[in-house]
Amino acid sequence: MPRFLAPLLLALLGLILFGQGAYIHAKALLAQVLLERAFSKTIATGHPTKPWSWADTWPVARIEVKRLDASTIVLAGSSGQALAFGPGHLELTPDAGERGVAVYSAHRDTHFRFLKDVVIEDAIDITRSDGKTFRYRADRSSVVRFDASGIDPLSNGYELVLSTCWPFDALTSGPERYLLHATMIESGSSRMTTP
Amino acid sequence: MTTCDCIATGRPRLSRRMRIALFFLAEGIAALMIGFATLFVNFAPAWSAEIKPPAAYIKPGDARSGSLLLKTDEGYDDAVRLGTDVDLTVSGPTIRARVTQIFRNPTKDWVEAVYVYPLPTGGAVDTLKMVVGDRIVVGDIKERRQARVIYEQAKRNGQKAALTEQERPNIFTNSVANIGPGETVLVQIEYQEPVQQSGNEFSLRVPMVVAPRYNPAPIVQSVDLRPDGGGWGATKSDPVPDRDRITPTVLDPAKHAPVNPTNITVRLQAGFPLGEVKSHHHIVKIEDVDDATRLIKLAEGLVPADRDFELTWKPAAEKAPSVGLFREHVGDADYLLAFVTPPAVVEAEQKPRPREVIFVIDNSGSMGGTSIVQAKASLIYALGRLQPNDRFNVIRFDDTMDALFPSAVPADSEHLGRATAFVSALRANGGTEMVPAMRAALTDRSDGDSDHVRQVVFLTDGAVGNEQQLFETITAMRGRSRIFMVGIGSAPNTYLMTRAAELGRGAFTHIGSTDQVEERMRALFAKLENPAVTNLSAKFSEAHAEVTPAILPDLYRGEPLVLAARLDKLAGSVEIKGRIGDRPWLVTLPLANAAEGKGLSKLWARRKIDDAEVARTTRQASPDDANKTILALALEHQLVTRLTSLVAIDKTPSRPDGEPLKVSELPLNLPAGWDFAKVFGDGPQLPVAPIERRAEGDGRTQLAALKRPAVVQAPDTVKLPKTATDAELKMIAGAILLVLSLLLFAFIRRQNFAH
Repeated sequence: MPRFLAPLLLALLGLILFGQGAYIHAKALLAQVLLERAFSKTIATGHPTKPWSWADTWPVARIEVKRLDASTIVLAGSSGQALAFGPGHLELTPDAGERGVAVYSAHRDTHFRFLKDVVIEDAIDITRSDGKTFRYRADRSSVVRFDASGIDPLSNGYELVLSTCWPFDALTSGPERYLLHATMIESGSSRMTTP
Repeated sequence: MTTCDCIATGRPRLSRRMRIALFFLAEGIAALMIGFATLFVNFAPAWSAEIKPPAAYIKPGDARSGSLLLKTDEGYDDAVRLGTDVDLTVSGPTIRARVTQIFRNPTKDWVEAVYVYPLPTGGAVDTLKMVVGDRIVVGDIKERRQARVIYEQAKRNGQKAALTEQERPNIFTNSVANIGPGETVLVQIEYQEPVQQSGNEFSLRVPMVVAPRYNPAPIVQSVDLRPDGGGWGATKSDPVPDRDRITPTVLDPAKHAPVNPTNITVRLQAGFPLGEVKSHHHIVKIEDVDDATRLIKLAEGLVPADRDFELTWKPAAEKAPSVGLFREHVGDADYLLAFVTPPAVVEAEQKPRPREVIFVIDNSGSMGGTSIVQAKASLIYALGRLQPNDRFNVIRFDDTMDALFPSAVPADSEHLGRATAFVSALRANGGTEMVPAMRAALTDRSDGDSDHVRQVVFLTDGAVGNEQQLFETITAMRGRSRIFMVGIGSAPNTYLMTRAAELGRGAFTHIGSTDQVEERMRALFAKLENPAVTNLSAKFSEAHAEVTPAILPDLYRGEPLVLAARLDKLAGSVEIKGRIGDRPWLVTLPLANAAEGKGLSKLWARRKIDDAEVARTTRQASPDDANKTILALALEHQLVTRLTSLVAIDKTPSRPDGEPLKVSELPLNLPAGWDFAKVFGDGPQLPVAPIERRAEGDGRTQLAALKRPAVVQAPDTVKLPKTATDAELKMIAGAILLVLSLLLFAFIRRQNFAH
C-alpha cells in the first residue's frame, strides 16, 4: 500500500496538530474544574490552596459575569504557563477591591472568550480568596499595544481591567490587546472582615 | 472521471461513500483520542511549568533585597527610601560596617515601617540604633519571641519601638512602630565581617539595599499576613524576569534625584603596604593616608543604589602575605583569627588526575527564560573542557529526571556529541524535584576506582523550599564525591547553594548573566582541575581552643583557610596540617606574635553559630541542642540570629500634641557628605500639621490608610502578557490536513477503480 502512505502521513500530521489544539482547550477546561475546587477550599479555610499538588501557582479570585453565565478562576501571576490554566492576576497590580487598577489577563480563545460579549454597563463580580466580593461595572473598552497599556496600577480609583489579545478572531498572536475597563460600584463582604 | 463513473455500478459506489464516511468517522475519533492521549502524556510536566516559587508562602524573610514596607491596615506598602549611608572600616582582617538608612514617612498617618534588607552572609549584626525624629533608640539583644512581645507591647502603648530580626542568615527585617506623619527615621545597623581573600587579592562586598524596581536581581514582596490567616498570607509578588522591562525611566538623573541615593565611605587599614585598590562597580576617589591606609569615597558623591559595592585591594609586595594572625581579648578569653593560604602547587607537576564529572542540570519551569539559556551554555562550555581520559554523565531533572547514560562514560567525541545534543534539546518545564537528581548524581557505581576524582557539578536556581531534605541527602550520600553548585539566574537561592557546596566540600559559583558564563565557568574549572588542599586539621600546642569551623573545609586554588578560635590563654602555637594533592603540608604559627584585631569575638561567635546550624541540618546535633548553643552564643556576643532579635523601645512617651516636627531639625543626624536638597527635594517640606494621635482609646497605632506614599516610584504603565494561544490555528491546520489527506485518499481509490 505504498501509495496510501502519503495520505496516511498527511492524516497523521493533521491529527497531531488537531490534537495539540484540542489539548490546549482541554487543559484550560480541566484546570478550571480543579481550580474551582481549590478556590472554594481557599475561601472555606482561608488558606491558599494549590489546585494540584505540584502546582506553583494558586487561585486568587473568581471573575463572574452573570449576564453571560461566565465564571472563571484567576491565578496568581501571568506567566505563560499559568495562563494556560486560567486568567492571571498581573504582578505589581493591586488586588481587586483595593485602590488602584487590578489587571487580569487571559487567553482570548479560552477563558476570556466571553470578553467580546461583555457590553458597557455589564456587572462584573470578583470574589477574592478571602471571601470578599466586589462588583464592578464595565465602563469602556480600548485596544492598545501590549507595551503601551496606559494603565497606572496605582491610580486613585478602584478599577479593574480585563485584558486579552486583540483582534478576537485572529489566528496568530499580535501586539494588540483588548482592554475592558470597569469601576467598582459596590463592595460587600461575604464571609468576614479582617480586623 | 467519466470512465470511472461508467464502470462503477451502484454497489461499489455506495460502499465507497460508506468508506469515505467511515474514514471521516475514524479520523474524527482518532483526532479526539490523540488529543486526549497527549493530554495525559503531557499534563503533569506542562502544568506547573515556568512558575515562580510559590510566593503565597513567602514571609518577609524571603524578600531578597532591601525595601521599606509601610504597614497599613491593608497590609504593607512601599514607602520612600530616602537614602543610605554606608561607612566601612577595614582593620586588617575584619570589616566594621555601619549602614544608616534614612526614611521619611510621607503620609499623613502614623505608620509602622517594616524594612527588609540584605547583608553579607558572614555578617554579624550586633548593633541597632534608631533615630526617630529627635530620639535615639539603642537596641538590646533578646530572645526572638520575647523581643517580639516587648515590641508589640510598646507599639500598643504608642511608644516608638524598633525591632531587628533575622529572616535568613543574609536577610534581616527591621520594624519601626509609631512613626508620625512627616517624620524622618534613621535606621542604623552595624555588623562585623571578615575580609575575603582569594589568592593575592582581598575584597569586600556590600549588597545594596535597593528599591524593588531598581534592581534586576532581587524579588521584593510585600506581604499581607492576616491575623486570622493562621500565618498564611498573600503576597504581591514581583516578576523578576521582566523587571527590567517594566521599570520605567525613573532613574533619569537629569529629571529625578536618585530614588535611593547612597553614600559609601571606606577606611581601608589593610595592615600591610597597599598596591592596587579598585572599586569594581563604582567610580571612587582614593586618598592615600599612609602606606597601608586609604580613604575611599565615591567620586561623584551620591549614587543610586542599583548594584553591589565591591572593593578589592592588593598588597604592594608581589605576593600577598600567606599568613595572617590576629587576636582580641574579650572578657576572660582570647580570640584568634588566622588566615593561611596554602602554597600554590607547582604547575610542572604530572598530569592532573582523571576525573569523573557528573553534570546535573535543572530544567524545571522556574529556569524558564534566560536561566535555562545560561545553564545550557555553561554546561556545553563545561563539556568542552573535559579531557579524553575523563569520564562524565549528564542528568537533567524537573519533576522527572533522566540520566543520559546509565553510568559515567569516557569523554570521547561520540559521547560528547550525544551529550551536547541532549543538552541543547532541553526545555524548561515542570516542577523542581531536586532530591532524586542529587541522589542519582551521588550514586557512585565505581567503588574502589579511586583513579578518578569524582565531582558533581549541579546547575540550578535552587528555587525549592525543601533545602533541608537536600542537605540531608548530601550529608548521607556524599561519599567521595564533591559537589560544585552553579547558581543560575538573577536570583538564585544563595543560601541553598553555599550550604550545599559546603556540605559537599565543593565550591559555589554564581552565573548571573550569559556574559558571565565563560569567565565564571573557567574559574570553576580552575578549581575542578587543580588539586585541593584536603584533610586539614589544626592543633594548638598549649592553649585549650574551641575552633571554628568545626570541620575544616577543603581548599581550592587561591583560597585561604580562615580559622577562628577561642582560647583560654594566648600561648604556644597552632599547627595546621593538610595535604596538597599527594604531598603533606604543615605550617606552625606562634600565637604570641598575633597582631591586635577588632571584633574577632563576634566573628568567632557568628561562625560558631553557623556550625551549630550545619550540625542541626546534618542531624549531628538535635534541634534543641543546636538551638541552645546558638542562643547562648548570641546572647553572650549580642548577635542577631534566627533565635535572637535586637529590640529598642523609646522610654519617653510619644511626641506631645502641637509640636510640629521639622525636617530641618535633623541635619545633625545626617551623615557627612549628604546633599540635603538632593535627598529631601528643594520644594517645600511636607506640611506638618499639629499631630494628634487618633484612636487613643484602643491604644493602637492608627496605621496609615493612605495606600500610596506621595513619592512612590511606580511603573508608569503595565505590560500586558501574551494572551492568545495557537489552539485554533493548530486545530484549523489539522483539519485542513485531514481533509487534504481524505481527498488524496479518495483520489487514489478512484484511480484504483479506474484500473
